[in-house]
Amino acid sequence: MDSLYILIPIALVFCAVAIKLLLWAIDSGQYDDLDKEAWRILMDEEDTQPHERKPQD
Amino acid sequence: MLTRADSERCYHCGEPVPAGTFFSAEIDGEARPMCCPGCQAVAKLIAGSGLDSFYRLRTELNETAAPLPEENLYLAYDDPANSADFVSGLDDGLQRAQLLLGGISCAACTWLIEKALLANPAVRAANVNLSQQSLVVEFNRDRLPVSELFQQLLALGYDPHPWQLSEGARLIETEQRAALRELAVAGLAMMQVGMFGIALHAGDIQGIALEYRGLMRWVSLLIASVVVLYSARSFFRNAWNNLRFGRLVMDVPVALAIGLAYIASAWATVRNDGEVYFDSIAMFTFFLLLGRYLERQVRRREYLRQTDLQSLLPVAALRREGDRWQTVATRSIRAGDELLLRAGDTVPADGVLLDGGGAVDEAAFTGEHLPRSIGPGERVCAGTVLREGGGSMRVDCDAAGSRLATMLSMLTRGGDKPALAKLADRVAARFVGVVLLVAAGVAAYWLHTDPSRALWITLSVLVVSCPCALALATPAALTAATAHLRRRGLLLVGEDSLEALLRCRRVVFDKTGTLTRGHLRRRETRIAGEISEADALALAAALEQQGRHPIAQAFADITPARGLEQVEVVAGRGIRGWLNGRRLAIGSPSFVTGTCPKLPAPPTSPGHWIALADQLGPLAWIALEDTPRNDAAQTVRALQRRGLTVELLTGDPSDAGPELAQQLDLDAARIGASPQDKLDHIHRLQAAGTPVAMVGDGLNDAPVLAAADCAFAVNQATDLAKSQADAILLGQSLGPLDDAFGMAVRCRKTIRQNMGWALSYNALAVPLAAAGWVPPWAAAVGMSASSLLVVLNSLRLK
Repeated sequence: MDSLYILIPIALVFCAVAIKLLLWAIDSGQYDDLDKEAWRILMDEEDTQPHERKPQD
Repeated sequence: MLTRADSERCYHCGEPVPAGTFFSAEIDGEARPMCCPGCQAVAKLIAGSGLDSFYRLRTELNETAAPLPEENLYLAYDDPANSADFVSGLDDGLQRAQLLLGGISCAACTWLIEKALLANPAVRAANVNLSQQSLVVEFNRDRLPVSELFQQLLALGYDPHPWQLSEGARLIETEQRAALRELAVAGLAMMQVGMFGIALHAGDIQGIALEYRGLMRWVSLLIASVVVLYSARSFFRNAWNNLRFGRLVMDVPVALAIGLAYIASAWATVRNDGEVYFDSIAMFTFFLLLGRYLERQVRRREYLRQTDLQSLLPVAALRREGDRWQTVATRSIRAGDELLLRAGDTVPADGVLLDGGGAVDEAAFTGEHLPRSIGPGERVCAGTVLREGGGSMRVDCDAAGSRLATMLSMLTRGGDKPALAKLADRVAARFVGVVLLVAAGVAAYWLHTDPSRALWITLSVLVVSCPCALALATPAALTAATAHLRRRGLLLVGEDSLEALLRCRRVVFDKTGTLTRGHLRRRETRIAGEISEADALALAAALEQQGRHPIAQAFADITPARGLEQVEVVAGRGIRGWLNGRRLAIGSPSFVTGTCPKLPAPPTSPGHWIALADQLGPLAWIALEDTPRNDAAQTVRALQRRGLTVELLTGDPSDAGPELAQQLDLDAARIGASPQDKLDHIHRLQAAGTPVAMVGDGLNDAPVLAAADCAFAVNQATDLAKSQADAILLGQSLGPLDDAFGMAVRCRKTIRQNMGWALSYNALAVPLAAAGWVPPWAAAVGMSASSLLVVLNSLRLK
């Protein structure tokens, strides 16, 4: 059980890092528009090259 | 003659394709029908840029696109002095522009706009924000002039406006980010404390070494301190600010509960006895913050739509400089300037027409849907639209003194909404009083009988009475109701709209654009000469097609006759032309008399009658009217069944008002009311003790919407009207109004159930705690269970 004295502080450090990252993400505006982000991943997969007509046969 | 099926709709905007038109665009290799040149141009541009997949990705139809103006209207912005408000220089020589975009309907639009802009090498970054409908673009102004940027967005079918972040909007943005930071910290901390909480509760049941219990308590204390000092500080601040003025609001018991539970737990940790409540503190804080964050998120959307004078006026105007017309920014116009007005222009300033004439659409001020004819010497107002004609005008007052500015300032005077004592705060005030009295009583009793247990028992009473469920009762129900109404097509913006709605006994509707669709339709055609009805309408359509007058819409469904020559449009009066040797005229009776002197008097039945005649005699009379929305009658009946009085209040002085009132079976109608009359009328009703709900759309309705107890704006309403509304109808239908009244009743019932449960839980738990019988784990479980019950009960509102 003595390992708790090491494991708990490590957990706290991870928690602090997670909070830090989250706050950074919020401040850099990544949560400003939740409506669009859900869609963006779908959009970018589409090809955006000028349309080439395939020969009909 | 080819006719198309009625069911054929524009691939771009979904409007029916007018008969006799053959616009189309090739999308994904297939020709798609288009309703107008505007939509066709946009669709061709999108397809031509290889962005066809936009049409597959979109989830909503686009707005009908207006044809691109022949000249670039935004040239004034190329001068850095005129664009300083929204274009700022970056360190590396590029510029950043902030724009608001009209016409964004779904996420695919953001994709389309970003892709299209980034295809231009002068653009480095483009980011569209869907919830704010804004665009931030970084570009090189030397290679892509600002006016060209605007023009490109317009060509894609979106309507760009400069976006100057107002102080208020900036504040809301900062607050929202701060709220999210607090929420994030509380959420992560809650998980950590909860983990240790489980270990501690398990320890209570199966036994735990004092050493490890102490360790876990100290760690929990550390994390909970972050929650209390960082995330929960807004509760303490609010509570203190209200207490200083002697107001007991819901934040007071919340702050008291968090504060006391924290102090008691910290004390127990230091002494290594008693009980700790760190997990409850973190969880309670997180859920309250989450509720508030969601609530604010809904409102932020509309608040960000700033409406100032600038956004209602055109960007630039033509001013006489010596002997030529110079394009200048509207904001540089002063009294005494001479301006040129052309058909289609929005009048940039108040003044007097010097020469020329035309028809000016003053719907913004009067609600009247037919333009007014004007001639030299007559006044025109900033913000009205010159539909036909043209001429020059002399500006006679600065922007601040214009009628439009006066209307905007009426908002601040009309905007004193009746203050609502919120149910939650009323209950909270009594609740706090009672809890404090009980705690004092308990402390006095135990000090007298068993001083060693007095502190812990008193604290447990205060903690057990923690008003978690009570604090969640209202926000949980309101959030559920708001989400439900949003799916039904009504966006609630105001905090108190549902509660205000419950008190409303009268619903006041604006006419044009609210109860009606706001565009004209043929009501009746009476043949007066030797001609078939179809031929008469074809002639009428051919003539009307030449004008820009709103009447032309009424003939959009008719295939016009061909071969019209020497067309002459007389602004605001009518249209003349030659066809196969006949001299035809359509328009007001007095105008048509010029072509056909023998024209008899128009029919007397209601409606707006226009005449069609040739030089030999009259051909037909056509009555036009604005049509009610599809479900107007149904909604009015539903509201009346709820015992509400439904009234019409319109600026239109014609007999169309009373007629509509009769058709829809309204309880009352007032016509010809100026914006001030409307405001007075609402104030009179309120003074007589009748809370009023108002439904409107126009600029002229905005002050009235601000004054009404609960205000609704329809989807097509001006931004100004929307900004004053408590709720916005998202679709074409009025039905969600009735849903809102129904939901208000159900929501109140749910809030009462929630509060009843929360209070009875406390009534049961407090005496037990006062007697010293409640073990801490039972108190914690009870607290969580009662909160959960409140949330689940609220979810039934869906």
